[in-house]
Amino acid sequence: MNYAIVVDRLIKDFEVVERESGLKGAVTSIFKPKKKKVRAVRSISFSLQEGELVGFIGPNGAGKTTTLKTLSGLLYPTSGFVSVLNYNPWDKSHDFLKKIAAVFGQKNQMWWDLPAIDTFELNKEIYELKTREYEKNLEELVALLDVGKLLKTSVRKLSLGQRMKMELIAALIHKPKVLFLDEPTIGLDLVAQQVLRDFIYEYNKINKATILLTSHNMNDLVDLARRVIVIDEGEIIFDGALEKLVSDYAKEKIIKVTLASDDNIKKLEEVGKIKKMAFPEVILSVPRATAAIAASEILQNFPVTDLNIEETPIEDVIRKVFRRNK
Amino acid sequence: MRKFISIFTISFQQEFAYKINFIMWRVRNMFQIILTYFLWNSVFADTNTEVFGYNREKILTYVFGIIIIRALVFSARSVDIPGEIADGKLSNYLIRPINYFKYWLTRDLSSKALNLAFSISEFIILAIILKPPLFFQSNLLYILLFLIILLLANYLIFVIRMIVSFVTFWMPELAWGAQFIFMMIITEFLSGAVFPLDIFPDTWQKTINLTPFPYLVFFPLQVYLGQITIVESMQGIMVALFWSLILSIIMKKIWLSGLKIYSSEGR
Repeated sequence: MNYAIVVDRLIKDFEVVERESGLKGAVTSIFKPKKKKVRAVRSISFSLQEGELVGFIGPNGAGKTTTLKTLSGLLYPTSGFVSVLNYNPWDKSHDFLKKIAAVFGQKNQMWWDLPAIDTFELNKEIYELKTREYEKNLEELVALLDVGKLLKTSVRKLSLGQRMKMELIAALIHKPKVLFLDEPTIGLDLVAQQVLRDFIYEYNKINKATILLTSHNMNDLVDLARRVIVIDEGEIIFDGALEKLVSDYAKEKIIKVTLASDDNIKKLEEVGKIKKMAFPEVILSVPRATAAIAASEILQNFPVTDLNIEETPIEDVIRKVFRRNK
Repeated sequence: MRKFISIFTISFQQEFAYKINFIMWRVRNMFQIILTYFLWNSVFADTNTEVFGYNREKILTYVFGIIIIRALVFSARSVDIPGEIADGKLSNYLIRPINYFKYWLTRDLSSKALNLAFSISEFIILAIILKPPLFFQSNLLYILLFLIILLLANYLIFVIRMIVSFVTFWMPELAWGAQFIFMMIITEFLSGAVFPLDIFPDTWQKTINLTPFPYLVFFPLQVYLGQITIVESMQGIMVALFWSLILSIIMKKIWLSGLKIYSSEGR
């Protein structure tokens, strides 16, 4: 198997100037700036195979974006080894840059005052695409994201979601083999989020592109990424299948019961921990190992009209992961 | 090459998106010229006066020459660079296969082309209204040297602006201030865009001539007006060439070390 991305013991420090609040602080910081070294990434290692789609999760300031920026050649690593498609990203060789794309939030490469199509055409020249190739890619992307009618509207008049779609087209017009996406669904409504997710999924499948994406939106990860890397305070604390993350950290399962009457409803407490009681619905959490026994016990002893056993929601699992790490 | 033609075109279109801004900027330039014109016009009210080696015809040609040279040399789109470094927009260029310097040179070129077109029409309008006595250089050698130094002037200001802009890597809060003080005040003043540098005392002039600044406006006009000899013109061109080279090297060095501490904030 070929590795598209290799990161080995990557460390990245930033120098930050600290400043006391208020005017006095502002003045002293001019003459005696207090500089502090902050280690954003503490010796992380991981690799991605060609065609893999991996979710990168962690709380704010965990080092996700720093890692993505180092991989796209924007940041100079303090130490460690980074390789993307066998290039050193920092060299910014044009051959390398033609094979990757990075989208960081919504801040844009679009030409604000001009229609989106102008930015695309400029990118055609920048990436030295043949007209046929460009037209084919554009047609495909425009159809996938359904923005055909908006190509000639000046970018400043587009809504956030529409603009984000245009950003993606501009970033992908050259069919990159490796894609870094930082919070691609941030600020979008639910429908737009879903469209974008489907799109990323399709793009990964059709082009066998390697994609590393960060998100706080758990739906992004559940839908897209089989494998997740969890990073906290600059260190990787989990790297593996999403299901494994859940089974490792979620020691409990959730049982949702709908009852026909509230007789003996208090007795449910003996079966498991009640998380929510709103007759006719009751939600309990029970130890993973005994979930099946607990369920049959409920079925036998209570007037059940409906019962479901579910995994702990991914948000809860992740919250637990981060809390445990503290 | 096609890359840069596209950048030139799109940049040109972008300038047109802010028509009112652009027109206001040109109007401001016209007022500046009119002011300087009347100042010198009154100094040289007596047609036989000669001050600092200029007669009425040559000084008024100098003032009119500033219209064109200013539009050509001082117009630039790369004024946006400090802001883009400070707010992280620079990242957009770094992740795409494009030479950053050539990109901005091209965008400046498109801005210069637009401003030049406008300044020529302003020149004609003002010439019709004010009817100044203009001096036309007839010596082809002077004109050739004038064109060469003009080319160098455009490159020099680009390099100077880049170096000043790159200060932002270390002091992002200075993004605008450094640019303003350096470009607007020092460079305009020392380049001769406000008045001919001849009015400085001799030793000052000699010192200023060793800096790159007079080669932006003052020196090209001196050559055009034939105020200095051919040999002196050649010497000046050598100094300007020397500065272009040195400053290019400095620019490259600062850029590379700036990138190392660039933290791509805000993205």
